[in-house]
Amino acid sequence: MEGASYQRFPRVKIREVKDDYMKFELRDTDASIANALRRIMIAEVPTIAIDLVEIEVNSSVLNDEFISHRLGLIPLTSERAMSMRFSRDCDACDGDGQCEYCSVEFYLRVKCLSDQTLDVTSKDLLSSDHTVVPVDYSDASSGFDNSTNKGIIIVKLRRGQELRLRAIARKGIGKDHAKWSPAATVTFMYEPEIYINEDMMETLSLEEKKELVESSPTKVFDIDPENKQVIVVDPEAYTYDDEVLKKAEAMGKPGLVEIHAKEDSFIFTVETTGAVKASQLVLNAIDVLKQKLDAVRLSDDTVEADDQFGELGAHMRGG
Amino acid sequence: MGYDSTMSNTTDDLSHGIDKQHLASPIKNLVDKYQLVPEFLKVRGLVKQHLDSFNYFVKTDIKKIVRANQEIRSILDPNIYLRYRDVHIGEPSMIFDAVTEKLCPQKCRLSDLTYAAPIYVTIDYTTGSHGQTSVSTKKNVVIGRMPIMLRSSCCVLYGKDEDELARLGECPLDPGGYFVIKGTEKVILIQEQLSKNRIIIDTDKKGCVQASVTSSTEKTKSKTVIKMEKEKIYLELNMFKTKVPIMVVMKAMGMESDQEVVQMLGRDPRFSSLLLPSIEECADLKLYTQHQALEFLESDKMLKMPLYSTGPVEKGARALSILRDIFLANVPVHHHNFRKKCIYVAVMMRRMMEAILNKDAMDDKDYVGNKRLELSGQLLSLLFEDLFKTMNDEARKSVDTLLARPSRSSRLDISQYIVKDSITVGLERTLSTGNWDVKRFRMHRKGMTQVVARLSYIGSLGHMTKISPQFEKSRKVSGPRALQPSQFGMLCPCDTPEGEACGLVKNLALMTHVTTDEDERPIMSLCYCLGVEDLEQLSAEELHMPTSYLITLNGLILGKHKSPQRFAIAMRKLRRAGKIGEFVSIFVNEKQRCVYIASDGGRVCRPLVIADKGISRIKEHHMRELRDGVRDFDSFLKDGLIEYLDVNEENNTLIALYEKEATPETTHIEIEPFTILGVCAGLIPYPHHNQSPRNTYQCAMGKQAMGNIAYNQLNRMDGLLYLLVYPQRPLLTTRTIELVGYDKLGAGQNATVAVMSYSGYDIEDAIVMNKSSLDRGFGRCIVMKKYSAVCQKYENGTSDRIIKPQRQGYEADRMQILDNDGIAAPGEIIRPHDIYINKESPTVTRTPITSPMGLPDSAYKPNRQTYKGPEGETAVVDRVALYSDKNNNLSIKFMIRHTRRPELGDKFSSRHGQKGVCGTIVQQEDFPFSERGICPDLIMNPHGFPSRMTVGKMIELLGGKAGVSCGRFHYGSAFGEPSGHADTVDAISETLVKHGFSYSGKDFIYSGITGMPLQAYIFMGPIYYQKLKHMVLDKMHARGSGPRVMMTRQPTEGRSRNGGLRVGEMERDCLIAYGASMLIYERLMVSSDPFEVQVCRKCGLLGYYNHKLKTGICSMCKNGENISTMKLPYACKLLFQELQSMNIVPRLKLAEA
Repeated sequence: MEGASYQRFPRVKIREVKDDYMKFELRDTDASIANALRRIMIAEVPTIAIDLVEIEVNSSVLNDEFISHRLGLIPLTSERAMSMRFSRDCDACDGDGQCEYCSVEFYLRVKCLSDQTLDVTSKDLLSSDHTVVPVDYSDASSGFDNSTNKGIIIVKLRRGQELRLRAIARKGIGKDHAKWSPAATVTFMYEPEIYINEDMMETLSLEEKKELVESSPTKVFDIDPENKQVIVVDPEAYTYDDEVLKKAEAMGKPGLVEIHAKEDSFIFTVETTGAVKASQLVLNAIDVLKQKLDAVRLSDDTVEADDQFGELGAHMRGG
Repeated sequence: MGYDSTMSNTTDDLSHGIDKQHLASPIKNLVDKYQLVPEFLKVRGLVKQHLDSFNYFVKTDIKKIVRANQEIRSILDPNIYLRYRDVHIGEPSMIFDAVTEKLCPQKCRLSDLTYAAPIYVTIDYTTGSHGQTSVSTKKNVVIGRMPIMLRSSCCVLYGKDEDELARLGECPLDPGGYFVIKGTEKVILIQEQLSKNRIIIDTDKKGCVQASVTSSTEKTKSKTVIKMEKEKIYLELNMFKTKVPIMVVMKAMGMESDQEVVQMLGRDPRFSSLLLPSIEECADLKLYTQHQALEFLESDKMLKMPLYSTGPVEKGARALSILRDIFLANVPVHHHNFRKKCIYVAVMMRRMMEAILNKDAMDDKDYVGNKRLELSGQLLSLLFEDLFKTMNDEARKSVDTLLARPSRSSRLDISQYIVKDSITVGLERTLSTGNWDVKRFRMHRKGMTQVVARLSYIGSLGHMTKISPQFEKSRKVSGPRALQPSQFGMLCPCDTPEGEACGLVKNLALMTHVTTDEDERPIMSLCYCLGVEDLEQLSAEELHMPTSYLITLNGLILGKHKSPQRFAIAMRKLRRAGKIGEFVSIFVNEKQRCVYIASDGGRVCRPLVIADKGISRIKEHHMRELRDGVRDFDSFLKDGLIEYLDVNEENNTLIALYEKEATPETTHIEIEPFTILGVCAGLIPYPHHNQSPRNTYQCAMGKQAMGNIAYNQLNRMDGLLYLLVYPQRPLLTTRTIELVGYDKLGAGQNATVAVMSYSGYDIEDAIVMNKSSLDRGFGRCIVMKKYSAVCQKYENGTSDRIIKPQRQGYEADRMQILDNDGIAAPGEIIRPHDIYINKESPTVTRTPITSPMGLPDSAYKPNRQTYKGPEGETAVVDRVALYSDKNNNLSIKFMIRHTRRPELGDKFSSRHGQKGVCGTIVQQEDFPFSERGICPDLIMNPHGFPSRMTVGKMIELLGGKAGVSCGRFHYGSAFGEPSGHADTVDAISETLVKHGFSYSGKDFIYSGITGMPLQAYIFMGPIYYQKLKHMVLDKMHARGSGPRVMMTRQPTEGRSRNGGLRVGEMERDCLIAYGASMLIYERLMVSSDPFEVQVCRKCGLLGYYNHKLKTGICSMCKNGENISTMKLPYACKLLFQELQSMNIVPRLKLAEA
């Protein structure tokens, strides 16, 4: 490749990490990279989810498809997913996707024998692989009482009703079906840069300052209790709603506050379904992104590249 | 309930500290009367009008009918008779194999039975004949079976609580009010009619002013018209051949003095001058006495010949009897005293003349006060009366024929001759076809019953409140279709269909009550007690004294009263005290100088709070008692705090919307303004912010929305059932939603909607959907379809049989889902062309079978039923039910279930008449997102708003957004802002800001494709979306080659027959204009019905091809010399032959091309 290099070295600063939650800054890159990362986290990081259900007995009120759909949406712990095979390109089994390399088997056998309604939950799903189990939310930090937390409810049974089934979980990606998406929420925002024109601010009375602070629906500004100055307390709370700017304009002081979005830094918020840890999700996403880039680079100067990318192939080679 | 405590108790608000709006508002010392609405609906139910009407029929009317026709007496031997003493209706039951078994509605629905109860009578009757008769009594004789309305007083569901209903397999939210006839639910629509026995002044086709009365008594029904034609007044009655001069009629009724007639009209000289030509005409005819007048009426040119002559009668008696019994039949004549009738005619004339002098006095036919609603009870009573009379006539006839026979051996028992089948069958047939053919009352009406719409819960509710019109729909007049001001509060202003029935089909409002008949005798005597001067005692002169008002009860003039206002106040006081029925209306008409008292059935009325000098009678302590449960709605009525007003009496009142708006003149206060809407319109949040047609559209669409139908939906076997997999309760509710139970049986989902344009696949109201949302179950629905099979028995004793499936062989594949009994197993996946019942029929069904061993296998031919669903989709056998039908055949019902996720082209709508199809489905990562991570489920194009002006939808979005962020359901009841039943935009915005949203509901959004912020703020939030039943899967259709119609050999028509797509006339015109001749040729000939014919060049007729000689032969010329072969459409050949068959010879002239 010729010409100037536009290579940059993005930096990541992690602010907060929990099992299913993560907040980090991504700096020195641009929206395409940030968005690529977001998109991959939503749609292309593989997880394991129930894909095939064989119902033996179902006398519950919900019909077979209904229960199958609900089973599919239960997040399963998917640390193994990256190393697992897609059942469609698994050699061990000839495509039926039921071998140990590409699938995990589950059983559910519940019958209600008491007069009390029985909740069938994800805890009743018995896995053939201890690494792939329904996500357990009963983590102590969540604040819920562990005894009442029974997992994700699948169906309720009354006396005499029974549910017996075998389910096969497979590896997949969120693009195919949302049940394989490890992300509950992945979002980013541009980091705002807030500049207060101190001189102009001096001209405001305390009342006006308070009004200005109040005008923002989120708590971005505050008044310093000591010197009664308007200060920025939390720039990231700013939702680009322009309310403060409008207020300043309405007060006849345009330019009192200036807010810009930093084009090259992003604040990511990642929440997972629990299938993978939030930190792992980001790493996996970067892996997937790398693989995709590798795929492009490998086909760089091959003939297939021309087939695959057409004019774009030539462009990539610097033509 | 929690909401009203915040209303009345301001201290509560302080402790919550949430609702600043309430704190800011002035302290409310006015009473919140909303609680009355749920209380009203609790005692009344949603379909009380049907139930009341049916209960009245079953309890009172049927007894009246039987009493009026209580005797069957033989004509030949008057000593032989049968007398009905009592009648009552038993419990719904049915006799199975001589065992009486109780019925419940669900059982009837499932096994195609009629939910009916026996009609028991007690009879006295004679046995024996020819003087040796003895009288005996029989109790509980069944004369027939009466279909029972669900939830009526005869129904097993009456008064049952939720648990008991559940045990009977019934949904507690189901309103009842319909019948189950042969397994299908039928509702008798409310029929709208012009009121009976009232004088109506209008104009006829020629523009002549006329006064008409449709009389209806137990005995006769007739229509009397008095009209002014060419300045003379005539009577029109269909017993007379021509119009009769009115003065002749007056004279015939004994009013021989012209002066008295003039006096009766009143002092005004204008009236007498209008009458003068008529008096002159009568004098010209030289009729002066009653006798002369009657003779004139009886002459051949006047009187229609009677259908049967009963021998010679006294001269003039026939005319007199017509005048007595048919002319103004509602005015009774006692002892040949025609005075009342004369006065009635005079009043009619006076009103007519008033209308001539002053056009304002004309009656408005569309005025709701002039209308009566005919309900199921009344219609059934007509039907029953007819059938009962027919049965009695039949019984008498058969007894008479038996008596006429010279020799009889057995003792005659007249009770043997009442056959119960005629009533049972008659009722059942009429209810199931909906055709009321009651010849006795000259009634031939079609489409009176309909199958209850079970597409959605709200649809079935709406169906019960539907009012079908009296006019035929084709009339191109706007009057009856227009919204009448008198409809206010009685009929829903929004809920009417679009198209031809627009404005004619109406729906009842939420609080409307329809009255039933009430005995008028006590009211009549009460009136006389209150100082009404009897008509009999009045001279003609006194009738229209300027100081007095006429008092009319149900169209009958009772007399006059000197101080009508005092009289009306006294009557109303008595009503409020419960001394007369609560539905009696007292209406003082100042213009007509009349007081109208009405106690007849079919009037619409509604409850209102009584106010004295503008101060509501309901005080805070009353409402507190209501909340504490020591008071109910009826006690409010009993204590005179609330009363029912009908449309006429409303004219005497001044009704304030709210107590704070009341002035000293105010007599009544509305309970809640949102009750002017009906059930369907009540679902719309903020309807008062929408353009009105949008609400009308939503009323039609709410009935097509999928959701939950009833709690027992999975135990029902409806023909077609649409269910939503995850139905939700709307985030933005209304009070009506809570009252009717829509929050329990919702038909939609709360979708996060972004109002923006995206991808271009959202033009023309199309919506863009998020694939991940669909994956997670948004808009997913279950479609269940019923397939049934009957194991028929044949006349020769053979019957169909169901046999074991073949497990090997070429059909084994299609029989996979069959159990060993030959019937598909529940839970099996069924594909198109799969056999679901392996049935065989005997080849011979007529001639008797000789072999005693039963038929050999060879005598059966397969008669399998295969599932025909959309190709490529698999469905599941949901349930299989076996039952025996009416003829004791084994019948099987299959419910086949198909779960569908939304696809391109499926139809969705919000609750504001904004429908749209799914234009494209987009991956979640391509969808826009906010920095909070909110990603919409749906994108709607903003162009939907400006022209539709559905501001309510925007407020719904705002309110929904505030609702999800603060965790409280927000309300949007119609006109609810002042009374706190709708959250104001200000309050909503405040909540939004508190939770970090923009007050405007707009969000800062990033593009999912580029990651860059969008240029504009996007209005985004939850809106309740309904999935409508129109789905692409049921409609898409294409065909290459396929079936053809036998006669024309052209492709079949319609999707169900896998038909072709027609190039119609207009399409053809386009092709002709374009000059695409080869395309036309291909479409109209090659792809349709090409046919090769042999044409004789000589005679020009069609010949045939002789395959032996291998030549064409002309059958006309008897040779094959001049035969040419050509192609033409088969339909063309058919036309030629058809023409020939009617002696027209089409000849073809051929030329070289």
